[in-house]
Amino acid sequence: MSLRSIRSVPILVYLGLMLIPIVLALQRLMDVTGKSPFAAIFSLPDHPLGTEALYFSFIQALLSAGLTLAIGLPIAWWLGRHQWKHLNFIRAALTLPFVTPTIVAAMGFLALFKTGGPIESIGIDLRFETGLIGWLSDATGIENSGHIIALLLAHAWFNLALVIRFVEPKIATIPPRFEESIRLLPIGKTRFSRARYFWWPMLRTSIGSAFLFAFIFSFTSFALVRWLAPDLWTLEALMAVEGGAAGIHNYRTEASLLVLGGATLQGIILLFALGLAGYWQQKQSISNDIVSESFARKTAGGASLFARIGVSFALLFALAPLGSMLLSSVRIRDRTNESYRWSTEAWDIALTGDLTYVSAADALANSIVYAIACMVVSVLLGYAVASSIHALESGGKKKTAIMVDLLSMLPLALSGVMVGLGVLLGVLKVWPELFQWYGLPIIPHAMLTTPFVIRILLPALRSLDSSYDETAAMLGHSQFQRFLKVRIPLMKSSLVVAATLSIAFSLGEFGASWILLRSGSWDTLPILVDQLMARPKYFELVEPVAMATASILMMVTFVLFIITERFREHQGGGF
Amino acid sequence: MTIEIQSLTLSYDANIIVQRCNLTLAEGEILVILGPSGCGKTTLLRAIAGFVKPDEGTIRLNGRNLNQIKPEDRNIGMLFQRPVLFPHKDVLGNILFAYQKKKDRDMEKVNEIMKDIGIYTMKNQSIETLSGGESQRVVLARALLTNPELLLLDEPLSSLDLSVRRQLASEIRTTLKSKNIAAIHVTHDHEEAAIIGDRIIEWNELHLLESVLIQANTDETTSG
Repeated sequence: MSLRSIRSVPILVYLGLMLIPIVLALQRLMDVTGKSPFAAIFSLPDHPLGTEALYFSFIQALLSAGLTLAIGLPIAWWLGRHQWKHLNFIRAALTLPFVTPTIVAAMGFLALFKTGGPIESIGIDLRFETGLIGWLSDATGIENSGHIIALLLAHAWFNLALVIRFVEPKIATIPPRFEESIRLLPIGKTRFSRARYFWWPMLRTSIGSAFLFAFIFSFTSFALVRWLAPDLWTLEALMAVEGGAAGIHNYRTEASLLVLGGATLQGIILLFALGLAGYWQQKQSISNDIVSESFARKTAGGASLFARIGVSFALLFALAPLGSMLLSSVRIRDRTNESYRWSTEAWDIALTGDLTYVSAADALANSIVYAIACMVVSVLLGYAVASSIHALESGGKKKTAIMVDLLSMLPLALSGVMVGLGVLLGVLKVWPELFQWYGLPIIPHAMLTTPFVIRILLPALRSLDSSYDETAAMLGHSQFQRFLKVRIPLMKSSLVVAATLSIAFSLGEFGASWILLRSGSWDTLPILVDQLMARPKYFELVEPVAMATASILMMVTFVLFIITERFREHQGGGF
Repeated sequence: MTIEIQSLTLSYDANIIVQRCNLTLAEGEILVILGPSGCGKTTLLRAIAGFVKPDEGTIRLNGRNLNQIKPEDRNIGMLFQRPVLFPHKDVLGNILFAYQKKKDRDMEKVNEIMKDIGIYTMKNQSIETLSGGESQRVVLARALLTNPELLLLDEPLSSLDLSVRRQLASEIRTTLKSKNIAAIHVTHDHEEAAIIGDRIIEWNELHLLESVLIQANTDETTSG
């Protein structure tokens, strides 16, 4: 077997793992509905909730992305322009929401907005829409306006890190001499003209990329929609619920049509958005020279009082839902006299599993096993694919490399629910024995995390100076020795970031797991939280137990996040 | 004869860089190739090292045809323009990279070479603390420890200032001569070439190596 054919093996395995479940699922749905994926898009209005879900998905995603920019841009500006004492802590705290599992985010916002919670106590009732929010609903005629506001705020919270990661480093590394020069020209006399003719052209690709990614994540949001806006439907949420009835001959064909048309349309939208974001990011990476962050910040000086207040509010916004969730796990509401008491009972029940089929400890063990297995698969496969793409690039096969690189990004256009449905309809209905396999969730988790691993490792491989490998070769080291002694140590940071992010994504994965596991002895922590919240709340400890379980998940994710942050190299302009 | 290159043609992205090149190098001889930047000197060295595949022609080292031999199996040392030191190792760690297995390490020889090259006192230093000249000394020591049949020097002194460059050029020559190691040194600096080389040839625009000779450290004028 030649080296070239060996290199194509990981690419084929990767594409097979990603595409086979999806292709099989599409084939089954086409058989059941008798329609092509594109024809099924036009049948979406046939489903009673199809049109509503489509419109709401678009509108809420656009508004969420807009709100994310409205909140995130001033913060990114202040952070990027001025010197801050604890910059790394501020950055980490503001990035935290993005790695928080969506079910934890949902619990955090529920704790914040619930009756007796901090927001309701200042007269803003987003849950039952009384008072100010009730007046707003009546005045605008928009039903569930409280739920919509809660959802938009939660999406903005979740995606805030995108603006910080994409825009702030860009602002911080633009050479100050550019702005100084333009201030001396007639075109840069006012702040507005400098913003229009200098800052906007410099930052638009970063801002555009942040907007698109915020749109993508809001469009495919499931856990937040399910818990914060329970009476509203997005395509993702509707597909998740209807997915169980899809793919069965002569049974609720409208469900199969919805999943087929919805997944196709969602795939096209996500692919377009990802393509555009990728194009903008590429443009951003070839733009002008940069200076060190400390140099630019020093020129702009310390932060104003207004900036300090703004960043303090942003920190409060980032940490409040999580703090509120933690408090809700120990602050128990007494239903008899509407008073509250402090207790760790909910934590005891969560850990013993008295309210659920599996305990939080067992669910955590399941989650960790799946996450580690997922990490092993995604890092090995991701490294092999990234390495093959890099070998094609350095071997002069640029066109083939671009094609494989683009193919490797395709799975990023799949949401958790789409992947879960792919495995459910594509693999399990062909091979039902897999339902009995404990490791079943590893398949969708690896499908979702491997593309991210490739996106982290490929730039690391590209930036690795080939002279290290060549020098080691000249010293007589074999390819395997060079891999162990040179490549692995030099890529340690990227490998640790890829591995920990892969574990964190798998631990928090909700959509695919919800479709495949829902209730059984292999429940993961996010599924356990969902099960607990879905129980009737007659027993006063049900919700605190759910909050305690979500807090456990949050803590494990935080530890991983701290590890990731220690190894991440802040170069800016992306994840 | 240490190295014998016959009708070697090298290209990159369909551009011919070296065409039908013939070159020989005697045992222990130091050959300097002079030429402007971008003329193909480095490509020739990379082909001898095994990183560039020849379109045609053969490269023989002490009678072995190198064409099908991997870089790591050629027993050739190479110093690059920028000293390549592994950032995750200190000075000694970088030098010990010359050994593939721990059990093969000959610490007596390591210390001796480090003393000869003048870097023994820095053996536990981080590589970040080294100057350009010191870094190239470490790379040279590491290359010598592998007992190479041929040493390729790809403008290793170009980034150093003039006085350090002259001193190191002279030291490299002395070291190579004392160990009777053949070397090909490429540079665009005539003075450096005169200090280090036994024989100097100039690279002409036709991609052919032609021995337009400039006398160096011997009295002979040689053709290649």
